[in-house]
Amino acid sequence: MNKDNLKDNITRKEAIKKMGKYAALTAVGTFLVLNPLKAQQTSPPDAGGNPFE
Amino acid sequence: MNNDLAPSYLHQLGDYWILWYSKSNNYSVVESEFKTLLEMYLNSHSIDAFSLKLSENDSISNAVAIAEKLQLYLENCNATDKLMDELQATFNPLKSHIQKFYSIGDKTTQINYDSELVEKTIHPSIAHLEVAKKSNLQNVFDIYLDNDLLCLFKDHTLITAVAKRNYHLLQGKFVMQLFSLLHNKTALDWIGTFHGSTISDGENSILFVGQSGKGKSTLCALLYAHGYTMLADDVSPLGSNDLHIYHNPSAISIKEGAFNTLKPLITDFNKIPVTVFNKTKGKLKYIPSKTPVKQSYPCKCIVMVNYSKGANTTLEELSIKTLLETLIPDSWLSPKPDNAKQFLNWLASVTTYTLTYSNTEDVLKEVATLFKTFSKN
Repeated sequence: MNKDNLKDNITRKEAIKKMGKYAALTAVGTFLVLNPLKAQQTSPPDAGGNPFE
Repeated sequence: MNNDLAPSYLHQLGDYWILWYSKSNNYSVVESEFKTLLEMYLNSHSIDAFSLKLSENDSISNAVAIAEKLQLYLENCNATDKLMDELQATFNPLKSHIQKFYSIGDKTTQINYDSELVEKTIHPSIAHLEVAKKSNLQNVFDIYLDNDLLCLFKDHTLITAVAKRNYHLLQGKFVMQLFSLLHNKTALDWIGTFHGSTISDGENSILFVGQSGKGKSTLCALLYAHGYTMLADDVSPLGSNDLHIYHNPSAISIKEGAFNTLKPLITDFNKIPVTVFNKTKGKLKYIPSKTPVKQSYPCKCIVMVNYSKGANTTLEELSIKTLLETLIPDSWLSPKPDNAKQFLNWLASVTTYTLTYSNTEDVLKEVATLFKTFSKN
């Protein structure tokens, strides 16, 4: 783990308390995973548009 | 637990935590409860230990089910796309049928195209940089079709070859070359390139993002016509040395729907040629803008643009989660750990808004007010 997590301003215990008894399973279902582009590109062509055909 | 899958960086932004995974260069946005559970899981040496820890506070939830979900989440975050095979092409000197010269910074760059159609991939956006003389020639680019591949060479070395329908990937690679030539940098010197347009008031800058067709470029052209500095259209590069957005010399690309709005505001608008390249995008005009006084400006704010006909102009705070959902999948972000860390730190320093507009006068007032808030801080 990285030092950056020192910025957490509530303790783990407090956070779990905040979750309440039934929240752990709910909390674990809400997340986003975002993939950046693998290469640079300009605005992509609209679907179906191919000027070379 | 398998700490190999742990995020490399964790950064709190408002109500959310942004986690960065170095193996995949993926970013994840989670709430603090999720992050707490994840850390508990990663710091437990077995499922039993995790179960024990969890039961101290939560006697109902099924620790095994939670552990399974967290494990799947971690695998998902660390998954890398299958690398597409790099397409190969050998330089063919017989393809340089059209030769053009452009002034990039204080040097001249030559670009050879094999046809007028291929020329349309790059030339219209930099036509204003075209020069007649080939003095102080720096680099020679060749762009041509080789069967179904669209190829870009720099000084006879292949930069990229893409399937021709993916011409926007070649344009992206070329724009990156343009940035590096103009600003004397290498690809490693950039934190990322954002899909968005950036304007400046001469001191700071605002990055406008949003899906295609939401009015980013039109808004920036309007702001440019009212005295703001156009820093970058469509692709805005963030430098790693100073966290500034740098100048993109490409002209502002305007769709036909905005012609009537901009005609009275842009000098010699009718003389700017109409380009039709991709029929689904329709007619385009490329509006050249004056070179900014400085090469780069600090970016203090990211605004998600939403043009909506007849709507009242509103500027509302935007959650980092909603912003990143739009920004990250549309941006190239350097996979280097130092750059990822810089990106997260930079995000913490910017304010984020969503701007709905239809009326020029009102939107000008909102943007002017925004710029004023930066100079106060």
